[in-house]
Amino acid sequence: MENIMKRLNKISVENIKLEIMRTTFGNRDTFLSQLDPRVLMFWYLIFAIFPWFIYDKIVLVALLAFVTFIAAISKVSKVIIFLLCFGIASEIICYGIVAYFLGGGLEAFLALIGLTMKLATISLASIAIFGNIDPERLSDALLSWGVPGQITFAVSFGYRMVPVLIEEYNNIINSFRLRGKSPEHKGFLYWRQLLHMLKIAIYAFYPLIFNTAKRTRTTVEALEVRGFSYALQNKEVKKLKLAYLKIRLKDIAFLAGSVSYVIFLMIIVK
Amino acid sequence: MPQGIIHIEGLSFTYPGSGCPVLKNVDLEVEKGDFVAVIGSNGSGKTTLCKAMNGLIPQYISGDFAGKVEVNGLNTLETTVASLARHIAYVYQDFENQLVRSTVYEDVIFAPLNFGFADYRERGLQALKILGLEHLKDRFIWELSGGQKHLAAMAGALSLGPDIIIVDEPAAQLDPLTAVRVYEKLQILNRDYGKTIIVIEHNSEFIADYCRSVIMMDGGCVFWQKPVREALNRIDELKERNIHPPQVTQAAHLLFQSGSGKNNVGNYPIQIAESEAYFAGINLKPSCCAHSITEPSPANNREPVITFQGASYGYKTLENTTHYVLSNVDFTIYEGDRLAIVGSNGAGKSTLLKLISGIIKPQSGGVTVYDSNTRDASPENLAEIVTYIFQHPEEMFIEDSIRRDIEYFLKVRKNPNLEVLVDQVVNGLQLTELQNQNGRLLSGGQQRRASLAIGVATHPSVILLDEPTGSLDISSRKEMVAMLEYLKDRVKTVIVATHDMQLAAEWANRIAVMKDGKIIEDSDKYRVFGNPALLKEANLRPPQIVELCHDLGISPVAFSLGEFSNRLVLGKEDHHGKYYETVE
Repeated sequence: MENIMKRLNKISVENIKLEIMRTTFGNRDTFLSQLDPRVLMFWYLIFAIFPWFIYDKIVLVALLAFVTFIAAISKVSKVIIFLLCFGIASEIICYGIVAYFLGGGLEAFLALIGLTMKLATISLASIAIFGNIDPERLSDALLSWGVPGQITFAVSFGYRMVPVLIEEYNNIINSFRLRGKSPEHKGFLYWRQLLHMLKIAIYAFYPLIFNTAKRTRTTVEALEVRGFSYALQNKEVKKLKLAYLKIRLKDIAFLAGSVSYVIFLMIIVK
Repeated sequence: MPQGIIHIEGLSFTYPGSGCPVLKNVDLEVEKGDFVAVIGSNGSGKTTLCKAMNGLIPQYISGDFAGKVEVNGLNTLETTVASLARHIAYVYQDFENQLVRSTVYEDVIFAPLNFGFADYRERGLQALKILGLEHLKDRFIWELSGGQKHLAAMAGALSLGPDIIIVDEPAAQLDPLTAVRVYEKLQILNRDYGKTIIVIEHNSEFIADYCRSVIMMDGGCVFWQKPVREALNRIDELKERNIHPPQVTQAAHLLFQSGSGKNNVGNYPIQIAESEAYFAGINLKPSCCAHSITEPSPANNREPVITFQGASYGYKTLENTTHYVLSNVDFTIYEGDRLAIVGSNGAGKSTLLKLISGIIKPQSGGVTVYDSNTRDASPENLAEIVTYIFQHPEEMFIEDSIRRDIEYFLKVRKNPNLEVLVDQVVNGLQLTELQNQNGRLLSGGQQRRASLAIGVATHPSVILLDEPTGSLDISSRKEMVAMLEYLKDRVKTVIVATHDMQLAAEWANRIAVMKDGKIIEDSDKYRVFGNPALLKEANLRPPQIVELCHDLGISPVAFSLGEFSNRLVLGKEDHHGKYYETVE
């Protein structure tokens, strides 16, 4: 147990931080990241909605295989994949147990597996898309669809602030630890220690919010000076800003390929 | 007299909800192409004046406004802040918060794009080129160092092609060498691109090296506006307002007062470069104590407190390589040490402190604090012995009043004497008045004091301070040095990581110099500051008085003006024992 705790300490805030950074900032040269953000969003919508209307197991498997392939070529974070697999595995085990005890047997189990596959497909599609679409470009895609400038700016500003907030959150947690007291008796399976850490993780948000509020004063002034509100009222600026968005052959091929694959599946099954 | 690029007439301003005006009837003219420093004590209206120039006051920060401000002939009341931004740029003191996009390139094109300039890309690239930042174009903002962020913020403002650039306290947030780099860029902007530069600055040595004229603010008024040499020669007037004239200027003044200097009142040297010629003509009588430096007291009869045994620490980068910040450090810190760790940015100073506190653990080798190996001890347990005071006090405020912050440690340990102990600390560090306020709302100096109080309340044997005098003005800095003295009898070992060489020289009894994750020198101030080659290697900028001693060939070097004049002018016979007394 001692050993496990040490290992757990190793997947400390430091490593989680690194993994988040890698997920957010690491993929700049994958296939997906080079596509037009609007096409990616559209593709995502297809794969997020379509599986809900499919009941055929084979089609679901084929869809899952396809998004798995897309996720694989777009270098998504291993940790997130691990979490996803962990979630799915525990879900399947739960289904098994429930089906065994409550009756319904294999049939009920398989029916639930169908749902799991749908969820897995959608999750993988989300991971692949949002891990690869540059938030700046995502916000431009939203802007081009008429989402208000304030909201699209918030998307990309969040991207800018993620590292700052993580760093500060880490420091505040350290502050809590350097002044706090860890429980003398760790408790069964270290539950007291875990509870202590969990409490800190929650309490640390409070100072974080205060510090962020203070920080925004300069940001708001700077936005004004740098013409943010001027741009909001100006249609020409929007046009200029979005002028770089172009749907190229690559985009069309990707979208057309994906759609024909889905249609092909439907035909085969029928 | 023709109207300057900035023309201010009868300007008064009162913040809403405050009874007394911050600016009172200010008349001011700034010439095109000037390089101006705005100085004055805290609350004298420097920042308010500058925000009135770019129109934020009164258009964005409303209040009671009277008078007229014209920038490039545009009245700030009739021109929007956004339009004024094309004429006047502003780099904030907390410049990080004005960077709003995720990469350098995105950020520099932000403003020209917002204003709908079709050539926004060229404008952004041009701004990067002027500041020599092209190589950072595709970097994320979070990857940059403090100095690079400062320049990126400046590039973001430059992309609109303004004629005037205001920079709020560049030297306060940056380490000294980075600040020099920023000033060098400002000088290029001024000299080669004809930009008018206005800096708010406390550090008179930067003013002497780069500025051409000085505006002194006092109680909301312009006290005077003078060419730089004349301004910095007003020694008494500057000191009254907590601004220290350059040490060479003060040294020349002191020499004159003691009767052996030239009668050059009002025309003392202000830069180190001109001081050699100036002092050369004076008959100096150096006392001979070059041979009389004591060895630092031998280590073997003192109690070791912290030991590094081949400790290394590195962090993983996004590319999955490990970047070593500290490599194979062997080092022992003893009871009674007042240790200053100096070195340029990224030398590993903060990492060294964090390893002692147990927040991070060495990847190889070990760190022992008293008897416990930090690898086996939790930060919570180490905190009973060691206190780590963060570089940014804000990150230490976890409660909503500083009294509750100070209590926290004792409270969770259910200390029965809590009230008494906390009162002691609060009174000792003069926080009685402030104790119920939220730490975040205090001034920089007060925040430092509060963070120190939080540390002291844990009754540690070892205190670690990360950059305790960083971003403080001169008077708060003095106060901080006094607080460090307060620790002397209460804490066995104090370790300070700092860029402030004056602090290292005045306060420490041991100095460790770090470079590239290694300790390259571990001795006392005489050996460190008496060794120009070492200072150069570690990229350190010694106090000006030390540089002066180097230039004049005075050894051992002096660390204060008093020492300088004592030893040179009066030629006192200093026994080294006595000598140490006067220093400490």
